[in-house]
Amino acid sequence: MNTLLLASTQESTGKTAVALALGQLARADDRAVGYMKPKGTRLQSNVGKTLDADPMLARELLDLDAEMHEMEPIVYSTTFIEGAIRGQEDPEELRDRIEESYRDIAADADLMIIEGSGVYTTGGIVDLADDDIAELVDAGVLLLERLDSVGDLDRILGAVDRLGDRIEGIVFNAVPDSMYDLVESDIVPYLETRGVPVYGVIPHNRNLAGVTLSDLTDELGGQVLTGENGDVFVERVLVGAMSGESALSHFRRTKDAAVITGGDRADIQRAALEAPGVKALILTGGFDAPGAVLGKAAERDVPVVKVQSDTLATVERAEELIRGGRVRDARTVEQMRQLLHDHVDVDAVLR
Amino acid sequence: MTRGARGLFAPDRVAVVGATEREGSIGQAIMENLQDFDGEVIPLNPKRDEVFGIPAYDDITDVDGDVDLAVIVVPPHIAVEATRQLAEHGVANVVVITAGFGETGSEGAARERELQDIAAEYELNLVGPNSLGVMSTPAKMNATFGPDAALPGSMSFMSQSGAFITAVIDWANDQGIGFKDIASLGNKAVLDETDFITFWHEDEATEVILAYLEGIDDGREFIDTAREVTKDTPIVMVKSGRTEAGAQAASSHTGTIAGSEQAYEAGLDQAGVLRAENVQELFDFAQILEGQPVPAGNQVAVISNAGGPGVMATDAIGDSNLEMANFTDETLRQLGDSLPDGANIYNPVDTIGDADNERFRTAIDIVLADPNVDAAIVLSAPVAVLDYDELAEDIATLQAEYEKPVAAGLMGGERTANPEEILGDHGIPNYFDPARGVQSLDALVTYRNITDIEYQAPTTYDVDRERAAEILHAVEGRDTNRLGVEAMGLLDAYGIPIPEGEIVDTPGDAETVAASIEGDVVMKIVSPDILHKSDIGGVKVGVPGEEVRDAYEDLVTRAKNYQPDATILGVQVQEMVDLESGSETILGMNRDPQFGPLILFGLGGIFVEILEDTTVRVAPVSEREAEEMLEDIESAPLLRGARGRDPVDEAAITESVQRLSQLVTDFPAILELDINPLVATPTGVQAVDIRLTVDPDQL
Repeated sequence: MNTLLLASTQESTGKTAVALALGQLARADDRAVGYMKPKGTRLQSNVGKTLDADPMLARELLDLDAEMHEMEPIVYSTTFIEGAIRGQEDPEELRDRIEESYRDIAADADLMIIEGSGVYTTGGIVDLADDDIAELVDAGVLLLERLDSVGDLDRILGAVDRLGDRIEGIVFNAVPDSMYDLVESDIVPYLETRGVPVYGVIPHNRNLAGVTLSDLTDELGGQVLTGENGDVFVERVLVGAMSGESALSHFRRTKDAAVITGGDRADIQRAALEAPGVKALILTGGFDAPGAVLGKAAERDVPVVKVQSDTLATVERAEELIRGGRVRDARTVEQMRQLLHDHVDVDAVLR
Repeated sequence: MTRGARGLFAPDRVAVVGATEREGSIGQAIMENLQDFDGEVIPLNPKRDEVFGIPAYDDITDVDGDVDLAVIVVPPHIAVEATRQLAEHGVANVVVITAGFGETGSEGAARERELQDIAAEYELNLVGPNSLGVMSTPAKMNATFGPDAALPGSMSFMSQSGAFITAVIDWANDQGIGFKDIASLGNKAVLDETDFITFWHEDEATEVILAYLEGIDDGREFIDTAREVTKDTPIVMVKSGRTEAGAQAASSHTGTIAGSEQAYEAGLDQAGVLRAENVQELFDFAQILEGQPVPAGNQVAVISNAGGPGVMATDAIGDSNLEMANFTDETLRQLGDSLPDGANIYNPVDTIGDADNERFRTAIDIVLADPNVDAAIVLSAPVAVLDYDELAEDIATLQAEYEKPVAAGLMGGERTANPEEILGDHGIPNYFDPARGVQSLDALVTYRNITDIEYQAPTTYDVDRERAAEILHAVEGRDTNRLGVEAMGLLDAYGIPIPEGEIVDTPGDAETVAASIEGDVVMKIVSPDILHKSDIGGVKVGVPGEEVRDAYEDLVTRAKNYQPDATILGVQVQEMVDLESGSETILGMNRDPQFGPLILFGLGGIFVEILEDTTVRVAPVSEREAEEMLEDIESAPLLRGARGRDPVDEAAITESVQRLSQLVTDFPAILELDINPLVATPTGVQAVDIRLTVDPDQL
């Protein structure tokens, strides 16, 4: 029985995609796979349901029978944390709960994949940070990290130190072009000298960036005015607040973007529809766009969404969502499988 | 337009789909307006047996024989089906009055696409939708729902605003101004402005084409077509949405994208179209083009019985392309003989206030006879001894005799009404304001210049397209659509000279490259994410060989500090270009949504940034047009050697303009491109820096 815990020093490193992709690869090798995310932290917003989307996806993609409360024994919500600091939670009891769920799921598996929290230190309040959990279920830890600049190494080494013997190795994900050579030629050898094997370096892949327009619309509480194409991928947002004439120039420089502008700026909206890299239009302030603009949007197959919030709030929320990059679908995991196959020593990882 | 287009304005039989007698309905308005029609009207309405006494049919299939034109007023969802039925039945021309298509949103847009599909399938000439209708005076056909019919005339008018048409007709009727055809373009789903100018060009009864447009659908096609049309038939256009505020309004109204004002100026200029700033100019120009001959030259004479207006006219002439004619000695002698001592016999001629009809007529006669005079403006203030009616008659007679264009300025109120009519009957316009008269004559000269132009084909140079394509493809792996100095090879591939240099990514390589270049070098950080290199210390000029390594480190550090997540491709090490003996110019291109690639040129630095002294042309740009661009800019004298400098190699500049024109015509994927600076020296040009935006989907 092999238990692998995926942890990171930062949010949004791609843990879910990698975890599920590894799970699928293992299953393809005829291994029985179990999955857990002991501390559920990615909560459904708006509606108030406190269920993490990741275990649900896992259940679907890995064909699991396990119950939701077993895969995610602790819901690490704000309420939970407040309760914990007031002494309303018993760390012993929580540890038992996790252990029990683990045993139940592991009974039918010969490989357990455990997804850590966004940041590995989460849970320290109740002595259940990722290193504590690794100890509890005797897991080897695979650190999944992004590397945007050499400065990130210090933080990563901090985790390595803390994890001690538990650490199996590192996989770097979404490494930008500008860093790739440096990582391969200098950073990997350096880490080897520190006794930390690097099992793979996955380059930044544009297809895995961004969120779908449906996700964005749901999160912003928007209403679709035209265009049903919720599958459109949005990687960045641009604000339309400049003069009509400079708008086109500005929008042309971008790719896979959503333009956010006031519903009363027909000239900006029209310019946005002309730029090839603009994939969606989000209108703020609860205004409807003029019919003529919607007609043109329909003609050019650019979906238009209306939101009630003002431009600034909308832009901030949208950027947050894009950075978060929700993994909601099988497609993303499939692409990650290919990337793992191409860039990572999966056999060594899954042993 | 296709076969059977004649039936659009001169049908024998018109069917009205949705004809009705219901009070206040559009169907009723159309039927009423068609009552005067010379041909046959066929009401189609399954709910009626007859409309206004004419037997009605259920639909077109019940009608025997050919129907050349159908007008549709039924609601949108029925309108689409009706159109199909009409097309299947062989009706060649359809006007869709119905609104509720693309101008209302996505459902409407989908319906409009259906109309387009039907029109394409059956080669239908479809006007609208959302149109006021069409009108043609020879057959007294008024297939619109406006309140009035137009008077007959030889101007044909198309408008993107139906409401504007009704206002114009009402005003024109008061003025005694008539039209030949009128078309309300509506949403321009099928037939657009290019189709109509083509049609009216071939229509012998149309002498002048007028247009009110908010946008032009395919600018390049319009230019190419208009060039042919305006050789014989002048086109005068008001294009709105010119200002920032107006552009917003246009986007709201018709979903038109705000094309730049500069683009329209250039585009319409290159098309040979006369642009009117406003409604008044539109009709002033149209009327004089309709009623007066085009002058042989631009020499104008001013004849007046009042000094003041004469000076005003002279000022206006100074502001225009006209010039004050120099009279021959013979003319001066004759004027001296016939005018009293206090009068002015030179241009502007002042007959003085006590001139009677006899004296005035003689003066005009003598002046128009002068071979140096191509056109004249006759101004008059009311005086007791002068009969305006007789003056009008005299002006008309003399104008006809000498066949030179004349504008009249008989000033006053009530007393000008009858004389104006007399003049109008002879095609001579009358204005209170002398400046308006001058501007109208100016329009005639502009038109004459338009007809004189011989359009030249653009030069085709021998270039390396494959290499250029390869360089452009670099944008595919990026997060943005931008390329910078790493794309300089693009210019080289198209024969635009660039300085020696290379992009390197280590300090050692930088040193090696610098060593191979004579003299000091220029070093620039290469990153598509950093737009203004010089602002962040990303450019080092005059770097000697021994400082190259340090300069490299410095550039990279600064860039990383300024924008940590910028992609740094390296540093460009480049030959230093002599800026002392050269002039910095800007050569660029912007793809205008309506006209396509717009080539821009100007002197660099403050000339473009502060003074905005630039000129544009729609590509492809011919050699002559490129030479014109250099004439256009105000600061041109600086290129020619002002202030003790040597003149630059202008031919090299115009060649670069044309080569750039070829590049952007060959690659529609290039959306924007800036060569800044293009340094021009007495011996040639060099493109020192480049920035461009590419649409990867079009590569």
